[in-house]
Amino acid sequence: MVFKWLDERLELRKFKEKFLSKTFPTHPTFLLGETALFSFITLVATGIFLGFLYEPSTTMVSLFGAMVPAAYASVVRIDLLPMGLIIRRIHHWSAMIMIAAILAHLLRVYFTASYRKPREINWLVGLSLWGTAMIGAFTGYLLPYSQFSVTATSIAYYMAKSMPWIGNWISRLLFAGDFPSDGTVPRFFFMHVMLIPATLIGLISLHMLILIKQKHTEPRSNRDRKEAQGGKRLIGIPIWPEQAVISLSFFLFLLFVVVLMAAYIPLNPIEMYGPPSPGTPVMRPDWYFLVVYGFLKLVPGDLVFTILGGKITPETIGGVIFPALNFLAYALVPFIDRSKEPQHYMANPLHRPFMTSLGVGAIVFLCMMAVAGYIDVLHITTKAMTVYALVATAAAWSVSYALLRWYNGKRGNNAKA
Amino acid sequence: MVDGNSAKETGKEGLTRRRFTLGMLIASIAGAFGSLFALLKVLAPEKKGGGYATTILPGDVLVYAQGGSAGSPVTASSMKAGDAVLAYPTGKSSNPANLVQLIKLEEAAFKPPTDISLTDKGFVAYSAICTHLGCTVSWMANRESPAASFTECFCHNSIFNPAEGAKVMGGPAPIPLAQIGVKVMQDGTLAFTSDFKGPIGPQV
Ligand code: FES
Repeated sequence: MVFKWLDERLELRKFKEKFLSKTFPTHPTFLLGETALFSFITLVATGIFLGFLYEPSTTMVSLFGAMVPAAYASVVRIDLLPMGLIIRRIHHWSAMIMIAAILAHLLRVYFTASYRKPREINWLVGLSLWGTAMIGAFTGYLLPYSQFSVTATSIAYYMAKSMPWIGNWISRLLFAGDFPSDGTVPRFFFMHVMLIPATLIGLISLHMLILIKQKHTEPRSNRDRKEAQGGKRLIGIPIWPEQAVISLSFFLFLLFVVVLMAAYIPLNPIEMYGPPSPGTPVMRPDWYFLVVYGFLKLVPGDLVFTILGGKITPETIGGVIFPALNFLAYALVPFIDRSKEPQHYMANPLHRPFMTSLGVGAIVFLCMMAVAGYIDVLHITTKAMTVYALVATAAAWSVSYALLRWYNGKRGNNAKA
Repeated sequence: MVDGNSAKETGKEGLTRRRFTLGMLIASIAGAFGSLFALLKVLAPEKKGGGYATTILPGDVLVYAQGGSAGSPVTASSMKAGDAVLAYPTGKSSNPANLVQLIKLEEAAFKPPTDISLTDKGFVAYSAICTHLGCTVSWMANRESPAASFTECFCHNSIFNPAEGAKVMGGPAPIPLAQIGVKVMQDGTLAFTSDFKGPIGPQV
């Protein structure tokens, strides 16, 4: 009935035939992107709840007799509401999971070489999604205005400010004046609840549109089947109803896991950090910033030089140049590993010694940087850590390359890829 | 192309019209970006708040910056060698640039480049704002040998040696913490005797 009524007006049947019957190739790793998408939906839902109750202001108000910033007080009040704390934790955990899922998805695409022609654009869109998600997470750090928030944001403020030539202006633009001042929280609030989600929605839509247009890459096994049948269409299951049911149950399962984590694993305990205070305790950023955090610790303090009147300091190197170079390197991947013909099948990483070993080396390097975030508890000096990181990276790269070459040499005798 | 001729015939007028439109387009884009530039200026206000401009004057009494006795004067007798506290000049705690770390060491422990004339009875004070990215430094007390205590910033583990003018012993901090003069007053409290002897806060 309802369907008929809507169909007469919106031509739903056409939509169903054209879109919902599309084929979705199956492979367990194809759920990584969906994990990211579903985490985003959870983020929006919990974010709406939090947004109703949060107060983006640093005016001092009284909370149980103590004077604290209004933002901090409002988050403490959210935590005290029935279900309040758990929703805030679901929000935070979903952000962590979303970023992890995007990363895992990127790695999957990298190792299966699914970024090759014609999918270079979607690789770039995916990278931007990752970057935007991290900016979203970062702007979220500040909002509770706890001691942790202020320290983390102040570090980023000085990193931005340390940039040569434009640092002063950029930092004032992003933080709405100097930090800490009363402009930063409202600006970050706007970015966090409006600008960044809108950008994410735009990028996600673009990502999916391109995906629908270009079609999904397929597992290699599909190729042999297709060749045998002489078919050209994608092999997989239709979006409606099969894939939809899988996705829905997967979404619910994911939600279950996140709620479980939120219920049992404490995260960002702002009551423990307390409102901003003069001292700085030991604090580490969420896992996805550990790489930059660790790298910052390794840059020697006397590494300063001047180009064209701009002073390049360790802060700029660690906080701006290093992340930028990372993203640039990832963005260049599809333009370095090019293919003339459009590729529509996942590659087997074992058959691609060069790219795969490069990826392995990069992963080890990033992990070592994250470890460098812990040199204080591991009692390693920065010099030793730098050496370890370089040696581990070089070893991982060369050993995996040699192994893969050897493997392919053996395989090359009996089979051709 | 086949219709190259006809294109040439109408080309003249078509080209100028196209040029005109293109010119208009470029001008309007330039105008739009020009106005955007003005907008960016508005969006990056000169809001003062952070930044590190100290307001310490000689004679200001040091008070505890945190803990139960925050705001009350630090007394010389409450500290022994190897101790350190965070302190503000009294009544000026709203300015983070005024935060100092007051340290007591053995009088003989000081080595250059510490300015001995700015110390008194083993008391020495440095800016507590890390010169790397602005976190507050902490005191790593060594109970067994007080002389081995040092100042560390927990953010990226910069280490400063208080006996040697807060020289950077490790980590990413580019310059030492600035020293500031202190002396023990008659009533056992401590007061500042000078301004910071060097830049404070992140060197950006
Ligand atoms: S802020 Fe002190 S070491 Fe980075």
